[in-house]
Amino acid sequence: MPMSDDRREDVRLEAFFEAARATPPEPSPALMAAVLRAAEGLQPAAPRAPLTARLREAFGGWPALAGLATAAAAGVWIGTALPEAGIGAAEAAYLVDVAPELAFDLAGDF
Amino acid sequence: MAMPFDYPDTTPDEALLAAFAAGDRAAARVLTMRLTPRVLAHAYRLLGNRAEAEEVAQEAMLRLWRQAPEWRAGEAKVTTWLYRVTANLCTDRRRRARGGTVPLDAVPEPPDPQPGVAERMQMRTRADALQGALGDLPERQRQAVVLRHIEGLANPEIAEIMGASIEAVESLTTRGRRALTEALGTRKEELGYADER
Repeated sequence: MPMSDDRREDVRLEAFFEAARATPPEPSPALMAAVLRAAEGLQPAAPRAPLTARLREAFGGWPALAGLATAAAAGVWIGTALPEAGIGAAEAAYLVDVAPELAFDLAGDF
Repeated sequence: MAMPFDYPDTTPDEALLAAFAAGDRAAARVLTMRLTPRVLAHAYRLLGNRAEAEEVAQEAMLRLWRQAPEWRAGEAKVTTWLYRVTANLCTDRRRRARGGTVPLDAVPEPPDPQPGVAERMQMRTRADALQGALGDLPERQRQAVVLRHIEGLANPEIAEIMGASIEAVESLTTRGRRALTEALGTRKEELGYADER
C-alpha cells in the first residue's frame, strides 16, 4: 500500500529528530567541573553521629570497646576487692621490705 | 556513614537527590554525570547556542543543588523539575536578547557521532537544519516539539513541565511538526532525502 503524504512527511521529520538525538551536545569539562564545584559548595554536611557512636568509633568499634570495658571492670575489682580480702600471716611472712631506709620511721621522732 | 560509594544506573534521581541532601558526595557526582548532559542538550535545543546553553545548564544544576534540602519526595520527578527550570531560564535569556536573534554561526559543531563518515556528515547536516528550523518556531511550539520528539517524553509529563493541558501540548506539537515539515521540505535535496520513500 503506498504511503500517504502525511505519513511520508512524518518519516522524513523523524529522520531529523533521530539526527538530533544522535548528536547531542557534549558538556565541556569546564561545565562538569563547575557543576561539581557548586555541588560541593552547596551540599549540606553529613549529620554528626551522636557522641556515643563517635566514641565507639574512636576506640575502634564494639569489639575493642568490649575489651576496654572488661579491662576496666577487672581493674576496679582488683582495686577494691583485693584489700578487703586482707593479707594473712602466711602471706605476710613472704613480704620483704626491700628498702627500709625509705620508710618513715615515725617512732624515731618521738 | 553507611553509604555506598557509588550507585547503580537504576537508582532513581529522587533517591540520589535525597542522598545528596544527606551529605553523600558520591550522589553529587552521579547526579552531575547523569543530569548535566540532559540539561545541556535541552537548553541547546531551545537556545540554539552552545555557550549560552552551557551557562543555562550550570545555573539549572545550581538551582537543583539549592533545592535539594527542601525537595519533597513524590511531588515531582527531578527531571520534570529540571526541564521546567531550564525552559524558564532559556525563556528569560531569549527575552533579554529580544531584538537580536541567535546567530547561526554560534551553533557549535556537534561531537563526532559513531556512524561512518558519510552518514555522520548527513546526520550533522540534518541536526543543524533541524536546529535552525526549531529556532524559527514560536517558543511554546519549540519546547513542546523538543520535549516530545527529541527528549522522547510523554504528553502528560510535557503538560506538567509546561504548565499546560495535554490537549494544548498535542496542539502545540502538531503545529510545530507542520511548521518544521514546511521549513525543512524546501531543503530536500541538500539534506539528502529527496529520494527517500
